[in-house]
Amino acid sequence: MRKLLIILSAISLIGIATSCSKSILNTSPLGLYSDTDVWKDPNLAAAFVNNCYKGAVGAPFAIARLGDYVDETSFTPDWGCFDFNKCIVTQDNVTGWEQSWFSDDTYHYMWNQLYFNIRECNVFFSKYSTVQFPDAATKNQMTGEVYFLRAYTYHFLVALYGGVPIITKPAVLGQDYSIARNSYSDCINYITGQLDSAAALLPASFSGDQRGHATKGAALALKARTLLYAASDLHNSTSIATYAPGFAHPELLGYTTGTQAARWTAAKAAAKAVIDLGTFSLVNPNPAPTDSVAKNFVAYFLDYGYNSEDIFLQYFTPKTGQWTWQDYFPAKYCGPNGYHNWGNNCPLGDMVDDYEMKNGTAFDWTNPVEAANPYSNRDARLYASILYEGTPWRKRPLDVQSLDPFDKIQVGHVYAMDGTTQLVPGVDTRQGPIENWNGGRSGYYLRKFVDPTLDPQYVNQDIPFRHIRYAEVLLNYAEACIEENTGSDLADATTYINMIRKRAGQPNTTAVTQAALRTVVRHERRVELAFENHRFFDVRRWVIGSSAYHAMHRVDVKYLTPAATSYRKGDGTTWGAAVYSNQPLVEETGTWIDKCYFLPIYRSEMNKNALLVQNPGY
Amino acid sequence: MKKTHNNFWLLKPNVNFRKLLLTMKIAILILVCGFALPAYSLTPGTLSAVGQQQIKVSGKVTDGATGEAMPGVNIQVKGTSVGAITDVAGKYTLSIADKNATLIFSFIGYVTKEVPLNGSTTMDAVLVAEVRNLEEVVVVGYGTAKKATLTGSVSSVVGETLKQSPTTNLTNSLVGRIAGITAVQKSGEPGYDATTILIRGANTLGDNSPLVVVDGIPHRSLDRIDPSDIESFTVLKDASAAIYGTQAANGVILITTKRGQVGKPTITFNLNTGWNQPDVIPKMADAATYATILNELSYYANPAAGRNQVYSATDIKEFGDGSDPWGHPNTDWFKAVFKPWSAQNYENISVSGGTENMKYFLSIGSKYQDAYYKNSATNFGQYDFRSNIDGKISKNIDISFDVAGRQEDRNFPTVSEGNIFRMLMRGKPTMQAWWPNGDPGPDIEYGYNSAVTVTSATGSNRERTYNMESNVKLNITIPWVKGLSFTANGSYDKVFDYHKEFDTPWYLYSWDGTTKDANGVPVLVKNSRGYSAPQLTENWQDGDKKTFNAFATYETSIAEKNHIRLMVGTESQVGQNNYENAFRKNFVTTAIPQLFAGAADQYMSNGGSADQNARLSYFGRINYDYAQKYLIEIISRYDGSYMFKPGKDFGFFPGVSAGWRISDENFWKDNISFISDFKLRGSWGQTGNDRIYYNGALKEYQYLATYTLNQDYYVYGQTVNNPMLAENVVPNPDVTWEIANESNIGFNTTLLNKHLTVEADFFYNLRTRILWQASAVTPGSAGISSLLPPENIGKVSNKGFEFVITYQGSKGDFGYNISANSSFAKNKIVFNYDTPGIPDYQKSEGMPMGAQLTYQVIGVFKDAAAIAAYPHYAGAQPGDLIFKDVNNDGKIDGLDRVMDKKTGMPTYQGGVTANLSYKQFDISVLFQGSAGAIAYLSPESGDIGNYYESWVKNRWTPENTNAAWPRVFNRSNEYWSPGNLRNSFWEFSTDYIRLKSLEFGYTIPTNIVKKIGVEKLRVYVSGQNLLTFSKIKEIDPEEDQGTSYPLQRVVNFGLTLTF
Repeated sequence: MRKLLIILSAISLIGIATSCSKSILNTSPLGLYSDTDVWKDPNLAAAFVNNCYKGAVGAPFAIARLGDYVDETSFTPDWGCFDFNKCIVTQDNVTGWEQSWFSDDTYHYMWNQLYFNIRECNVFFSKYSTVQFPDAATKNQMTGEVYFLRAYTYHFLVALYGGVPIITKPAVLGQDYSIARNSYSDCINYITGQLDSAAALLPASFSGDQRGHATKGAALALKARTLLYAASDLHNSTSIATYAPGFAHPELLGYTTGTQAARWTAAKAAAKAVIDLGTFSLVNPNPAPTDSVAKNFVAYFLDYGYNSEDIFLQYFTPKTGQWTWQDYFPAKYCGPNGYHNWGNNCPLGDMVDDYEMKNGTAFDWTNPVEAANPYSNRDARLYASILYEGTPWRKRPLDVQSLDPFDKIQVGHVYAMDGTTQLVPGVDTRQGPIENWNGGRSGYYLRKFVDPTLDPQYVNQDIPFRHIRYAEVLLNYAEACIEENTGSDLADATTYINMIRKRAGQPNTTAVTQAALRTVVRHERRVELAFENHRFFDVRRWVIGSSAYHAMHRVDVKYLTPAATSYRKGDGTTWGAAVYSNQPLVEETGTWIDKCYFLPIYRSEMNKNALLVQNPGY
Repeated sequence: MKKTHNNFWLLKPNVNFRKLLLTMKIAILILVCGFALPAYSLTPGTLSAVGQQQIKVSGKVTDGATGEAMPGVNIQVKGTSVGAITDVAGKYTLSIADKNATLIFSFIGYVTKEVPLNGSTTMDAVLVAEVRNLEEVVVVGYGTAKKATLTGSVSSVVGETLKQSPTTNLTNSLVGRIAGITAVQKSGEPGYDATTILIRGANTLGDNSPLVVVDGIPHRSLDRIDPSDIESFTVLKDASAAIYGTQAANGVILITTKRGQVGKPTITFNLNTGWNQPDVIPKMADAATYATILNELSYYANPAAGRNQVYSATDIKEFGDGSDPWGHPNTDWFKAVFKPWSAQNYENISVSGGTENMKYFLSIGSKYQDAYYKNSATNFGQYDFRSNIDGKISKNIDISFDVAGRQEDRNFPTVSEGNIFRMLMRGKPTMQAWWPNGDPGPDIEYGYNSAVTVTSATGSNRERTYNMESNVKLNITIPWVKGLSFTANGSYDKVFDYHKEFDTPWYLYSWDGTTKDANGVPVLVKNSRGYSAPQLTENWQDGDKKTFNAFATYETSIAEKNHIRLMVGTESQVGQNNYENAFRKNFVTTAIPQLFAGAADQYMSNGGSADQNARLSYFGRINYDYAQKYLIEIISRYDGSYMFKPGKDFGFFPGVSAGWRISDENFWKDNISFISDFKLRGSWGQTGNDRIYYNGALKEYQYLATYTLNQDYYVYGQTVNNPMLAENVVPNPDVTWEIANESNIGFNTTLLNKHLTVEADFFYNLRTRILWQASAVTPGSAGISSLLPPENIGKVSNKGFEFVITYQGSKGDFGYNISANSSFAKNKIVFNYDTPGIPDYQKSEGMPMGAQLTYQVIGVFKDAAAIAAYPHYAGAQPGDLIFKDVNNDGKIDGLDRVMDKKTGMPTYQGGVTANLSYKQFDISVLFQGSAGAIAYLSPESGDIGNYYESWVKNRWTPENTNAAWPRVFNRSNEYWSPGNLRNSFWEFSTDYIRLKSLEFGYTIPTNIVKKIGVEKLRVYVSGQNLLTFSKIKEIDPEEDQGTSYPLQRVVNFGLTLTF
């Protein structure tokens, strides 16, 4: 017995001794990579750079898009977009811009998010020297990419806020974080310097599985865009004095030295440098008379890239069973409610009206012929980009097929002959029977980017989004030429504008003066680059806020018939000719206040960093 | 067809099992009766063992206080299974073999008495009622303590009490019963309906949950323990918890399960059948009101187009009068989806008994709970067993071997609780949930018509959790050192979780509004909704936890009156979990819900991960008392945690407490003898906390520079998903233990002839070095807002008191025990970084944790003139809420927000229990109340979903401009919408008082049941959440949002059978 006792006690003591060894606390994270691992292994370093890509390019097709915050599209659920477009923006609340649940394209365009990506790029530069790259080319490529991505991120910060603190080292815990804003010109110099470094290191192109990495062309094209923005009126001292009179720190908003002409020259040269690479060209530049230009356009935006026009693309994956707000769901987010889609980002009447007639004249609601048939003989890009009344579209879902056996967009209403008694609402309207709170307000839905072959409710789209394409570079060049206006500039600009117009099937421009050409190039940017996240920045840099933020319009489509129980007749024809009219879109009653040329820095950020200066008007 | 086949596979075994249980219940009843019949022939009052040389012993048992005869007293011959029970006259007869045997007299609530026969054949016994407060033994850390000499603040309830609440989750039985706990239940969904239990409210910005210790093993789960297995439930509220050091800073809940007692086998059946229903169903606007509201919304957006932009006056009339059920329905979605009552049941069988050398307690139980939904796919089932064996290896060595197992079976629809309730609120009264012909109504969005998505029509979603808890305990009394004993525990707990979700398309019916058949009946179109092809997701978790502790206890007395007890020990705990998941879609059919049957295409995916944790501690305790009058206890603990960097990983945490039983002093005895017992207690201690949680997620390894793979990919070249690696944290090598400083002063007293007991405690907790992020002072430009590590920065105080007053007594056949408890705990941030430059009324300092900045609403803008007369938000319209210009600067902006004084956490909770008995009848009532919390409601109302009726009844309209409520809003689109700028209008007080539980029982007289061989048979009816009084009517006051499964009202019938 005593023996047993001793044995048991001994076993227990040994148990205690072993279990109480401090070594049991030496655990390590099983799901995390250590600093040492990451900055040794080139594959992990590459994975880190992938995250910097995501941080730089954001979620261009999250549910609310940048076009909703300007005169391109209307965001059906509102969520503060309507107020943003009324410039109800304060340093406490950028209405509609910051959806806390990551649902927004604009989430990516927020100060904190952008600076997070700056930090990640800075971490790369502080650590990459220990990575065991297999060869110099790999090292050059990766460092070149991060230069590009850091520049891209600063480009957005500067475009939204003006001069911002240039931070190039990753912060450590507890350091003094206060830092003053750099001047606008410092920021532009910094960005172009980064892009020069990137261009020197990046290869000319990638193929196969590597498509989507930044190239030399992408760096130069981004430089061209940056310098174009910098040369624009918004950053010129005379404009600053107009939209921010008395502001004590004009150097934060633009240039206080140098000439705007010299900046246009620099912008022009930067765009020319891309053209001179000879790498890029427009797709289908010379459509044959028998070509459908609209089909060409549709095909281009549904192409998996890189074709000759693609400069910087973001690819997506369908390979997921889950769904997040930032996934790539163009069809689900923008498709008509009559397809069980969410009916967002609806092109405004004002946007659609800006597509010219096929003959190059402006569309005009007061012209009775045009108003009676508003979608006849228009710029082919309208057909490629917009779903309007009667557009043949994909097959309807089962529960909608009896309401529309003809698979044509229904944004109108069938009325009795009195024009007020509504008989049948279109299935894609806010009065329709299917998810009518998702019905668009403008009478239009977006077609550009939408892949009609997928089940949009449950399958992600994987067609790449084109962040930079050659058409933009040509328009950048043309604009810089027009603004520089020396030598053969206007002729050169006309040549490049006509390249764009020819590809779109539109006649050459007849404009000759600087002012007329300026109108033309701005028009071409609006329609050629529509919904591609350019317009928001363009109206700001051109200082044309008040002509972009105003009371918007929708198209009203009516059919009149004594009695009807269906939207179309049994044979698919309509109840007589549609009656179109241009009506106010009351929810989108935008107004402009000059402070909105820049976003405010949040009051909390101002409080945390005493050296910051607030933007004017806030 | 195929769908049915699929359902058969996934659900049928479960249904069968339930039927099996029911059959078992009936069989048991028959068996009981069957066994009872032969027993009927036995002499009343005798359960004799057959033997040869039998001696008859008889006697009478009386109550020491009243002298009355005591029926039902258990008499046991020590060391044998021979026994008897006294009859109505208190008499018993026994046949025994050994004339020198010892008899054990026991009766619940009385002190058990052992009497040696010493050859006599009559033996009367007088039993004395247990004076619980004095002799009661309470489980404390690593041992037990006499309540009389306890110096810490400890509350306990016996397991039997918790069974009075007919809930399927133990945590839901605690509220109102224990002073010092704060309990809030957020959801009643079967399987996920746990109540959040906090001890003395919240103390830290991070995780506030207490440590749960079951049978001496920390970190076990409280929720699913079978209440029939619980012997005692103890809460360590002050520094006495410090003995559990690591993670005990938020207090400790100790659960002790039942063990066998020496004696014949006692078999106890507990059978319960009940029904539950939601305790609150929000009343939503009806169709005519909703249609009117939509017209108003359109009118506000475009006044020029008039008041009938969406619905005509005729439409609204038809919605109201029910004349057109097809075209103009008036749907009450909750009614369309909920059934009046849902079934639940609970049964448990236990056997306990044993001899001096081997004691056992064996128990098996099962629970089942159906959901409120009609044709519900949601239900919860649990099957558990426990085997607690105590053996005596030798005179000095005891060994205990405990094993408990549990299977938790959770079934859900494939559509989540959140989406079901979201769509119940979004379901428009102007839409059909069901068509008049009985077909399901049309789609709302995503096919989420809740009438269908609550059923198994959308596939199956099943989670099975298997738990195994085992423990071997060795207790050695060292014979050559008197008073020294040595205890070691080794435990291995295992959890396995298997979750399988099969999403299949389902069918809804739509009507184009015009097409009718030849008989004029509308023609519905059946259409498929949901994923176009079935898909399957499976998740596994395999985890275990090994705990080892050992401690030595030495107990001695010096000079008779100096009692000393020393304890030293060590404990280690190591845990790990492995996770895996797999996914396939594009199943050809729904016939086989197995992974292989899905397409091996680009959508197929799998994943996995793992984690581990480890903690190590050394601890000791010294108890000293002089004549049980002057008491002192010193605790210390040296804790190590894997959370912190080596060098910062250990912390030393001491505690001291003292007590003075003044009532033992002569001056007291001589002067105030009506107060029979009075003890003054005080304690102070420190405990460490290493639980670093932000927003509910554990943040491990924050001292290391680590990188984490994003859930998402970056794609190059169209098809290749490239991983994205991001920084996990900005490392903080200095991160170390958070410290709980806890002070407590209290007293226990017993007076009025031991009828009245009072226990009261005042506490002051100060949590220092709170692990929190310095986000308030870190600008966004640093780029680390999302990477901030915990720093030991915060300081929070938590003050309060709690008391329990119990009065018990009896008058004739009437017995009563009335107890009131009350807890008040209010926390205040003493220090946390506030953003510099903010006005005082926005500072978090001085305010409770979790308080938010809120615009103050002072009314509704009556008209344009009212807007012009007061500072207002840009774009304000008549009918909008008026935000107060707090800083009087003539404009409404972020500086007009004020830090709330209240949060979702109540500051006051209390309960009153009354246990009354009259002869064979007994009744227990628990009223419970809570105060000091608010809820912020933000439903998705507007063109997308319905409104609470109470919110629109007195709304502002152009005709009703003096309204107390604003005009209708569309979603979060108005600045004052609840989902937009947080404002005080949508904060609602959630103070409530409710009849939490009620039990009414009848014990069948012993002389009747004894005839059928049954020792005790009690039948009862009980209820939970029967009545609630609260100002907030839209939701249950414990819920914080209207989109979760409401709490349950339960009515239950049960019986307890012992023999």
